[in-house]
Amino acid sequence: MTPVHAASIRLRHALHHSRTGQMALLAAFWIAGEAVVRLTGLPLPGGIVGLVLLLGLLATHRISLCSLRKGASWFLAEMLLFFVPAVLAVLNYPQMLGLLGLKILAVILGGTVSVMTVTAMTVELAGRWRMRHAT
Amino acid sequence: MQPDPWLATAFWSSLTIAFYLLAKRLYRRWPRWWLMPLALTPALLIAVVLAIHASYRDYIHGAGWLLALLGPATVAFAVPIYEQRALIRREWPVLALGMVAGTLTAVGTSWMLATALGLDGTLRLSLLPRSISTPFAMQVSQDIGGIPDLTAVFVVLTGVLGAILGEVLLSWLPVRSALARGALFAIGAHGAGTARATQLGREEGSIAGLLMVLVGLLNVLAATLIAALLHS
Repeated sequence: MTPVHAASIRLRHALHHSRTGQMALLAAFWIAGEAVVRLTGLPLPGGIVGLVLLLGLLATHRISLCSLRKGASWFLAEMLLFFVPAVLAVLNYPQMLGLLGLKILAVILGGTVSVMTVTAMTVELAGRWRMRHAT
Repeated sequence: MQPDPWLATAFWSSLTIAFYLLAKRLYRRWPRWWLMPLALTPALLIAVVLAIHASYRDYIHGAGWLLALLGPATVAFAVPIYEQRALIRREWPVLALGMVAGTLTAVGTSWMLATALGLDGTLRLSLLPRSISTPFAMQVSQDIGGIPDLTAVFVVLTGVLGAILGEVLLSWLPVRSALARGALFAIGAHGAGTARATQLGREEGSIAGLLMVLVGLLNVLAATLIAALLHS
């Protein structure tokens, strides 16, 4: 076993137990995704490119789930916190507090109820239909 | 008077995190929709901003870095998606059908409701892509001639309301499969909905994560095509 190989094994072991290390690894994929977007001019967010990169490495077994699971769970559990600053942007549109805001709210409420109902019922009914016609 | 930028960052960031942790605690104890962290935290922050006569600029300079964490959070969806690959491979036709139906409904109902209420022009266009996550939605808004900034606000409002509405709808609709429950949140309320779905269960969360990404891609592709057709 070469020293490099041994060091790589030790690093992997440490990563399996360190949530902070795993979070840093996920952030590294995001930064790599941002770099790809900047270099190629893809009309995609960097996070999505990072996600695709990581899925590729998982699928080809270059990286194992044990090196990521703890960090990923943390990010997914606390994701709502990262949306909070975006909501404050409503402060920039004081005209939304009046009648216009109520109209917009009505569009969003009506639209969202329709989208959710149609989507959930389509998937549910299509799923049941497939189940019944499965051989 | 210009406050110290480090102090401002420390103030707005710790206030945001403190309100978020408080809201999480309260919501765990009393699960009412208005105590949901995504509704209560911004409401408290807006109250503070208005009370001390600060502005959105002050706030976002201090706590805007939290938004950047959505990047690694998006990457994190690779884990549940990979874990559920067998389910996804088995059910992809159903998921694809739901995605197309949901997208057509989103665009169709937004257009019709906006027209019925007398909203038109760039405002109506800015409302169309609000069911997909912010970076995708801003891209689509740009492509179809809306105002990306305004779309970002609508996206967030959709997320907050959708995460709340989704729960109410789930108790009314005869929807039992994890597939349909995950799809409801992902296609109706993008990332905020997906975060709610993650709390329902692992399967719901991974389906929602996958669909959120795919429906965003589908919309960007469709908008690019439409924009290319309109300008040709």
